[in-house]
Amino acid sequence: MMKSIRNLLSVCGQELRKNISDTGVMVFFLIVPLLYPLLYAYLYSGEVVREVPVVAVDQDRSAISREFLRKADATPDLHIIQYCSDMEEARELMRRHKSYGVILVPDDFSSLLVAGHQATVATYCDMSGLLYYKALLSGATMVSLDMNRDIQIERLAGLTREQLKVQTMPVENEYITMFNPANGFQGFLIPAVLILIIQQTMVLGVCMMSGTEYELRKKGKLFLGREYKDPLVVLFGKSLAYILVYALMSVYLLMLVPHLFHMPQLANRATLTAFMVPFLLACVFFSIFLSFFVRDRESGFLLFVFVSVPMIFMSGISWPASNMPGAWRFLAQLFPSTHGINGFCRIIGNGALLGDVRKEYMLLWVLAGIYFLCSLSAFLLFYRSSHIPGIEFIRERRNRRREIMSQRLDVVGDKIKTVRAEIREDVRERRDRNRNQSNG
Amino acid sequence: MSGRKHTVLKIAYRELGRMTSRPLYVLSMVIAPLFCYIFFTTLMKEGLPQDLPAGVVDADNSSVSRNILRNLDAYQQTEFIRQYSNFGEARQAMQRGEIYGFFYIPEGLEHDASNQNQPLISIYTNGSYLIPSSLLYRDMKTMATMASAGVGREVLLARGAGMDQAMGFLQPIQIDMHALGNPMLNYSVYLSNTLLPAVLALMVLMITCFSIHTELKDGTMREWMELADGNVLKAVSGKLLPQTLLFVLMAVIYLILLYGYLEFPLENGIWPMLLAAVMLILASQGFAVFIAAAIPSLRWSLSLCTLWGVLSIPICGFSFPVMGMPAPLRAMSWLFPLRHYFLIYVDQALNGIPLIYSAWYYVAFLGFMLMPLLDIWLLKKTAYKYTYLL
Repeated sequence: MMKSIRNLLSVCGQELRKNISDTGVMVFFLIVPLLYPLLYAYLYSGEVVREVPVVAVDQDRSAISREFLRKADATPDLHIIQYCSDMEEARELMRRHKSYGVILVPDDFSSLLVAGHQATVATYCDMSGLLYYKALLSGATMVSLDMNRDIQIERLAGLTREQLKVQTMPVENEYITMFNPANGFQGFLIPAVLILIIQQTMVLGVCMMSGTEYELRKKGKLFLGREYKDPLVVLFGKSLAYILVYALMSVYLLMLVPHLFHMPQLANRATLTAFMVPFLLACVFFSIFLSFFVRDRESGFLLFVFVSVPMIFMSGISWPASNMPGAWRFLAQLFPSTHGINGFCRIIGNGALLGDVRKEYMLLWVLAGIYFLCSLSAFLLFYRSSHIPGIEFIRERRNRRREIMSQRLDVVGDKIKTVRAEIREDVRERRDRNRNQSNG
Repeated sequence: MSGRKHTVLKIAYRELGRMTSRPLYVLSMVIAPLFCYIFFTTLMKEGLPQDLPAGVVDADNSSVSRNILRNLDAYQQTEFIRQYSNFGEARQAMQRGEIYGFFYIPEGLEHDASNQNQPLISIYTNGSYLIPSSLLYRDMKTMATMASAGVGREVLLARGAGMDQAMGFLQPIQIDMHALGNPMLNYSVYLSNTLLPAVLALMVLMITCFSIHTELKDGTMREWMELADGNVLKAVSGKLLPQTLLFVLMAVIYLILLYGYLEFPLENGIWPMLLAAVMLILASQGFAVFIAAAIPSLRWSLSLCTLWGVLSIPICGFSFPVMGMPAPLRAMSWLFPLRHYFLIYVDQALNGIPLIYSAWYYVAFLGFMLMPLLDIWLLKKTAYKYTYLL
């Protein structure tokens, strides 16, 4: 027992040494997790789009139409860059990507309002980004609500302001976005990206390591120590090495990065730590299992990088999971990232406690168990199969070492023999000389 | 002339053999893009998410509040799945991820409304899920306003005002939104149009770089160069020819899927988009060759190409607009072929404006294609000087 633990630690140490000496692996284990989140957070540091450039077409040219446009320009969402004489001019500015929307006040605007009818302001929005639409909609709506109230007050002169408000709006309403106060991109996307980075860099790094091992084996250049004999010890030793690396990275990614970028940080430390245990375990065994399908260093790149894009969608962070086709919802369950993202987003963003993410927590343990069994059986299978030799090389190395030793021994032995012979010769010579002198 | 063609074809034939010798190429050039095509178009086939789960807290529990609740479920995008007894319970349901948002009707609503105290209904949504949160907000805001206006309208109609007059009083100015090119706010139009080419371009970048440097690793780079009589240009073009053809085929598949089968907006016909798709592939190849020649190491050049491919998705600005990004990134966005493709798509497919407005993006594609001319000669040096070290 003690011996297997010593072997396990030795395997773990050797794996860590291999990680550090391989720059390709270090890119995944260190550089990408360190820098990519910073890049992403920088990308979305604007959070929301303010002052979307739009143009105004004022066909009415009345005091009230000018008031509408002036107020629209004053909203944080919109910025009127130009007043155009007609729609053609406005369209031209949109074509040249100078503006992303048009506010058109039709020529009957003030006359309709004066007559007590409903007047319409038309807005046209470039749909290349939904945030333009959102800005134009909320900006124009805000102005119309504001002006509607004033118009009503004018029409009902004689009543007090409070009476009026009740007349026109018997029940008021307010809107609160919980947990993402800026309602921005950073608070919504970055937590998901952080979790995905952990899983994907681990998969890529582990795949690259095992690909390297496979290549070396094929060339007959892989030398492993005696401690690599027991598949169980190797599996645990490797997992331990990766978990050590990623425990550190997780602290950086999940505690430091949110802090650096002032993201929502409602996370309960104990909950977060408890949640990361099954997540990291699931990721490690998932990576080790996948790495069995990799035959060389670069395959992982080509096969697993693009998956990140569907994976982030499968988590339901963007398109809601409740509206996915059943097949994709099922497939999503197989990835640690799905549960990791859902759990982590609610822990850090919504201040959820372990009880609130119980479903994700349990599913991560289940995944960890499944992938552990998968990689264990793969290990047992591959270590026994002849085309991926493991033990053979240990034996070969031992034989080679013996051979070298015996060769060296032979050399030394020969030398000793010659030296002895020389000494013997020398002694005999001297004895002969002495005998001659005494005789002579 | 015929001799040159012959050499290129010979290398192309050799490359075909390399591509079929291992499943990796088929997996990443055909299966991976196909998977993404099917995934994204089926994932969002509803266009707009329907029946998003939401909740209600009725702290008042009066006839007025029950009347409001009865009218809530009339909207397509929102489905009220449960009523919670208090605020804390609803908040916990949100933390558990059961609902994306809820209505809060305060205690004393009926009393306040009848005493003209103007009670306040609150709408809460979970901002950690941006899209469901925004959609729920839109629906719930309308519901709350309608509920309120409903009460006001009743009062006015009872006083003898006509419907037109009543609306003219309740909402003197109304906003008429026109979403140009995508009137239904279809999310699939908005995402698939960029994500499908993005995955394909990522694969082009990686495969191009990989297939060049793997020659060095296999120790066949010298043989490859000698087959082209030492002409790097011939060697590379011969190598990329079969890949280009296969990638163009994959691009045609997504164009047929998006604009033929799903009938997404395509204002100016298929030709500008077909040209853009083909040029996106060639530009990505050009960029990858440039990187592969500049960095004589498989792991670093492949890492850089991968980074470029993955980063091009957020930086092309289809989800978060480029104008909202910091200035250095705004400038950098032009160095990503996908950014130009996205702008062509907006102009030509979505907005249908004359081709001349997009001319510069096509020119930029040409620039990417010519990039290898800057440093391709370095590949020859790599072939004769470097050996692959693990």
